[in-house]
Amino acid sequence: MEGFLQALAAGLLIGAVYGLMCVGLGLIFGVMRVINFAHGDFMMLGMYTAFYLFTAAGVQALFGNAVGPFVAILLAGPVLAVFGYFVHRTLISHVSGTRTASLEGEGHYAQLILTLGIALILQNGGLIVFGSVLASIRTPLSSSAWEIGPLFDMSIFLNKARSIDAIVSLAIMVLLSLLITRTRIGKSLRAAADNPTAATYMGIDVDRAHRTAFALGCGITAIAGGLLATNYPFHPFVGLEYVIVMYAGVVLGGMGSIIGAFWGGMTIGLVQQMSTLILPTQLQNAAIFAVFLLIIFFRPQGFFGRMVERT
Amino acid sequence: MLRIERLSAGYSAKPVLNDVSICVGAGQFVAIVGPNGAGKTTLFKTISGIVKPSGGAITFDGFDLLAVPPPQRAHLGIAHVPEGRQVFPSLTVMENLEMGAMTESGRRDWQANIERIFEWLPVLKERRNQFAGTMSGGQQQMLAIGRGLASSPKLLMLDEPSMGLAPSTADFIFERLIEIRRQSGLTMLLVEQRVAEALESADRGYVLEAGHVVLEGNNATLRADDRVRKAYLGM
Repeated sequence: MEGFLQALAAGLLIGAVYGLMCVGLGLIFGVMRVINFAHGDFMMLGMYTAFYLFTAAGVQALFGNAVGPFVAILLAGPVLAVFGYFVHRTLISHVSGTRTASLEGEGHYAQLILTLGIALILQNGGLIVFGSVLASIRTPLSSSAWEIGPLFDMSIFLNKARSIDAIVSLAIMVLLSLLITRTRIGKSLRAAADNPTAATYMGIDVDRAHRTAFALGCGITAIAGGLLATNYPFHPFVGLEYVIVMYAGVVLGGMGSIIGAFWGGMTIGLVQQMSTLILPTQLQNAAIFAVFLLIIFFRPQGFFGRMVERT
Repeated sequence: MLRIERLSAGYSAKPVLNDVSICVGAGQFVAIVGPNGAGKTTLFKTISGIVKPSGGAITFDGFDLLAVPPPQRAHLGIAHVPEGRQVFPSLTVMENLEMGAMTESGRRDWQANIERIFEWLPVLKERRNQFAGTMSGGQQQMLAIGRGLASSPKLLMLDEPSMGLAPSTADFIFERLIEIRRQSGLTMLLVEQRVAEALESADRGYVLEAGHVVLEGNNATLRADDRVRKAYLGM
């Protein structure tokens, strides 16, 4: 029982960060319908950006070892958002949005090749610039825990760094859902996702909406990456490990549902941690995809997916 | 207000519009009628900028419209109520109306507009928190019209508001449009296959066939024309 609760807690904590990571990709897919294979590598850049902001750009000296990493991670978000903005402007916009709306397949083939190419450049460029040595954003909080309890003779230990990671993820998630549901920008993003042509009739610049979504998606995933990096070491090819999880989360949540992507990521975090109760750790990822296939078998549209195609 | 001169447009190699000239004066209600595939919807899409013309000119309110990027055209005062309604299905009725009011004038007049829209189309008020995708075709059409009105347009372009609707629902929507026009004096450009109704209420009309304007004139001339009576009015 204690082991179960411990795994559940760990799953919820890591699930919140996975959820945030998936939301970044879900936002891009939901608004633009672009399959971004490079998203894991944008996350890798976010991890390194947070790392260098912390160690080399003075954040460590200014905020110390406990708060510093989180400041650096939050700063990496806007940095990657700006990077994403320019990647969209210079590359992605040529094969998506209104330019390809009238083409067969809406430019999906070109999008696949382009984002795959960006992924390769970021991975190998990262190898040249950052080297192949494992890096991590170290904080003393990563190796200490809060004890919950004892309740009914049981105690649960919550890793401090992971707990803060989860809280930061939830806070950003709340802010994002407010942005999407309440603000003019958020509503116009959803309108552009629903029907780009009609959105243009309303005076919404669909390409600009796409750029906003792409920048936001990159920034959000960069923050999630930085948060993961407080517990997991990373390297220039780390994106490959996560991009599959991201897609699984987005599909589980329901393609196109932004909030759904969060719950998809949460499910994956929970399954990953709970599976350690009955399976050896090496099979964590196998467990994720076994559950993934099961859910997709019974609910092919995902948790929040709509069966109706968009008009 | 809207002047289309010798416009030609089409999709890649397939020309759809040929030398089309149409003129809509301020305050006028102009109908464009014609059979399926005549190019009526393409004409509207060209005005909105979704289809690029291969020749000709469009001026709106003194602006060279073809030089204005498509999303900016709504801000000049053109509201396009598209064929097949095209409401935003995952947005609520109220959010759909807010999207209509993305323009500066729409934001400025939001309160007054929304009251008038709810008065003209009360079903939108009843269902304002419902997702647009879950409404019936007729309700979605009313939402599409309300969404167009929410921008405080100078010109309301309606592309087959009766399409796919039960005759009684289509009649009701027509009656609402005429009432809206009577009360607001809005300039309207209507594309319709229900030729009799369209010509009856419009000031002027154009008959578009296979991408050409084959006939134009005011309401009485068109309805008296032999070809129109035979081909469209069944007389």
